[in-house]
Amino acid sequence: MRAELVFFGRRVSMATRQRRRGLVVAIYGSLLALIAGGWFLDRWRSTGGMSLWLALLACMVFLGGHYTRGLVKPFNGKPPRQPAMPPALLFLRLRLYQPVLAADEEAYRNDERELRERDRAHYRAYQGMGLALAALWFPALWLVQKPEWLGRLGADAGQIVFGLLLACFALYVTLPQAILLWTEPDMEDEATR
Amino acid sequence: MQDNAKGSQGAGESGLYNRIAVLRAERGISRQELADAVGVNYQTIGFLERGDYGPSLKLAFQIAAYFRLPVEAIFSTEPFELLSRQVYGQGREMAAGRPEPNSEESR
Repeated sequence: MRAELVFFGRRVSMATRQRRRGLVVAIYGSLLALIAGGWFLDRWRSTGGMSLWLALLACMVFLGGHYTRGLVKPFNGKPPRQPAMPPALLFLRLRLYQPVLAADEEAYRNDERELRERDRAHYRAYQGMGLALAALWFPALWLVQKPEWLGRLGADAGQIVFGLLLACFALYVTLPQAILLWTEPDMEDEATR
Repeated sequence: MQDNAKGSQGAGESGLYNRIAVLRAERGISRQELADAVGVNYQTIGFLERGDYGPSLKLAFQIAAYFRLPVEAIFSTEPFELLSRQVYGQGREMAAGRPEPNSEESR
């Protein structure tokens, strides 16, 4: 895991667990607000897609894991590919620049302890996803059975299933990294001690 | 590690005692240097020293090879004996000409 985050040219130390937990709370708070707000705005017709993109953007910029940027090193331990052409949106990419050389494979490789923590985080996330799927079971059942009381409440089972699917997808892409950021102890800044 | 390493932090979560911190301090090696030599993150060296992570056999042998010591001199499932007792305690008894009752010389 990396000890600092580069966000629009500014280096932010994330060595303490407290800060990392604050980031996780902020990301899930934003996602929850967007998903809940999307229900009131347009019943997730367009905001549903936006919440998915927000989850992916959070991974790309803050969490990492599926991407080479972010706090958590890439799960596959591979450095980014070197494009032959200059990248599109060069200005934005320079602003999100990470202080590691693309050719420096060591900066992207997980050592044996990091691999163990990665696997542990995925196991915990797998259990969490099981609970999320169990929560999806009931609205999916209502979708088939169409109970009368649900109609009286003015709710549509299809919309509930869609909303829960959005939440499940957001969890799927962010949960292992969030568990790692939440559980890893404070990092020591000094490597020379 | 319990007695020899800084902080006397014991075996930690791993249940394994080690002398990495002592050996590093003795030889003036930074965590980063050791980490680079054995191919891990410097944070992992910190976890090893605190006993919060038990290394793989491969890593344990790499660390032992780096310090040019046998693995059992660096890692142990039992607390290590005090270095001061090992060095000075034994030396004092040898100087006094009376070995400890349970030492090998007395058997």
